[in-house]
Amino acid sequence: MPVGLPEFVDNPENRCPVILLLDTSSSMVGQPIQALHRGMRVFREDLQRDTQAVLSVEVAIVSFGPVQLVQDFVSIDELVPPILEAEGFTPTGEAIEYAIHLLEQRKQQYKESGIQYYRPWIFLITDGAPTDKWQAAARRVREGEDNHEFCFFAVGVEGADMETLHQIAPPQRPPVRLNGLNFQEMFVWLSTSMKRVSSSKVGGMMALPPVGWGEVAT
Amino acid sequence: MGWKTITRCVCGTRHQHQHIPCQDHGAEYVRDSLVIGVVADGAGSAPYADIGATLAVNTMQEYLQASEKWLQSHQHTWETVPLSALTDVTYKCFIKGIETVQTALRTEAKRNDWTIEDLACTLLGFLATPHWIAAFQIGDGFIVARSPQHSYKLLFQADRGEYANQTTFVTSDDAIPSMQTCAVIEPQQFICASTDGLEPVAIRRQDKTPFPPFFQPLEDYLVETENPNKNDDYIMAFLHSDRLNQRTDDDKTLLLCRHSTTDP
Repeated sequence: MPVGLPEFVDNPENRCPVILLLDTSSSMVGQPIQALHRGMRVFREDLQRDTQAVLSVEVAIVSFGPVQLVQDFVSIDELVPPILEAEGFTPTGEAIEYAIHLLEQRKQQYKESGIQYYRPWIFLITDGAPTDKWQAAARRVREGEDNHEFCFFAVGVEGADMETLHQIAPPQRPPVRLNGLNFQEMFVWLSTSMKRVSSSKVGGMMALPPVGWGEVAT
Repeated sequence: MGWKTITRCVCGTRHQHQHIPCQDHGAEYVRDSLVIGVVADGAGSAPYADIGATLAVNTMQEYLQASEKWLQSHQHTWETVPLSALTDVTYKCFIKGIETVQTALRTEAKRNDWTIEDLACTLLGFLATPHWIAAFQIGDGFIVARSPQHSYKLLFQADRGEYANQTTFVTSDDAIPSMQTCAVIEPQQFICASTDGLEPVAIRRQDKTPFPPFFQPLEDYLVETENPNKNDDYIMAFLHSDRLNQRTDDDKTLLLCRHSTTDP
């Protein structure tokens, strides 16, 4: 009797969540906000070329000044880089706590649906100094890093208060100062990193590409 | 009659592209009515994971085979161990076996001036007679078994951390405390042990159940094939198929056993 071939169960892909936490305070008006928008389009285009990343990477966008969810988690194919409007203050602390909460909710959804996921990334981009109380958020970032809840990256655009950013970012991953408005290169780096994460298998942290788009603040 | 078995490992397409050797290893052993199966998956992050996986499997196989001799010296065989003592005896046996594997890995690492983490791998396996199965698992991968008149059962939940790329290795400090073991006093007609490469296509994640249309043809193949180890075209064609490689780029292992009193 001929034997048939094994059939495959349809399991959802592993997910690789990333939150872009974008400062849209009034100081970002003009060139910076436009460069940020162009950078996000490059990010999307670059990830779309990677078949695994397209299936795995999920992006949410939170802007702050004031804090709002501009884009809930979507796949790369569904991501439309939003036109951001720069206005208002820089509530960095509130924004970080919002992002961490958003991640917790997302993880819960993954668990309920039996979806496996990689350690999420929170990618903060700011050009100013927090105008709210950020100390509790900074503690939460460090706690989260220590408990492997997420990887937190902080990027300072020209004019950013690098001193405070230093106190917010986890000690093992100090903030990076962006060269000029080189968002494009930064987003290509983020995209390359996401591709590595989404194709990584059993094992600890993989090596990230070198940061060519900024200076690691020490 | 008795156990029919086969074990095959095939290098994943990702490893082929990167010119990395297959880091899965597996081996089965049959003597009379006893079958022993062991498989391992070398950690992608460990430079000599392929050596680690092979050494771990071979050491565990030798240890479990030797346990039969030890039992004989106590006027027993695995078939005559009282069922009331089975859970206890097999648990102790697995612990000792893992300790022996760890010693072997440590010695190999020292001899080459490596660390034991350079040989990191998962390790899972089982002992079975026509009346019971006892199994252990460190890290991910899966063992699926089916008793007559029942459907396929997953013996353990895969041990993984919160994230998709995390698991425990036999070289981890917490390997023994995190090891899962079980003894099921029920005849098993079919057993399949495998590494995590096939998990996405064989196990339904949502409710963590084996997918019968995956396992049934593999069992049919064992029923139909007189000597699977001499006639492995079906298994090899499947493990190398584009259809499968489109779904998993990881190394793939199938260790299959079928017990019958009537099969050819």
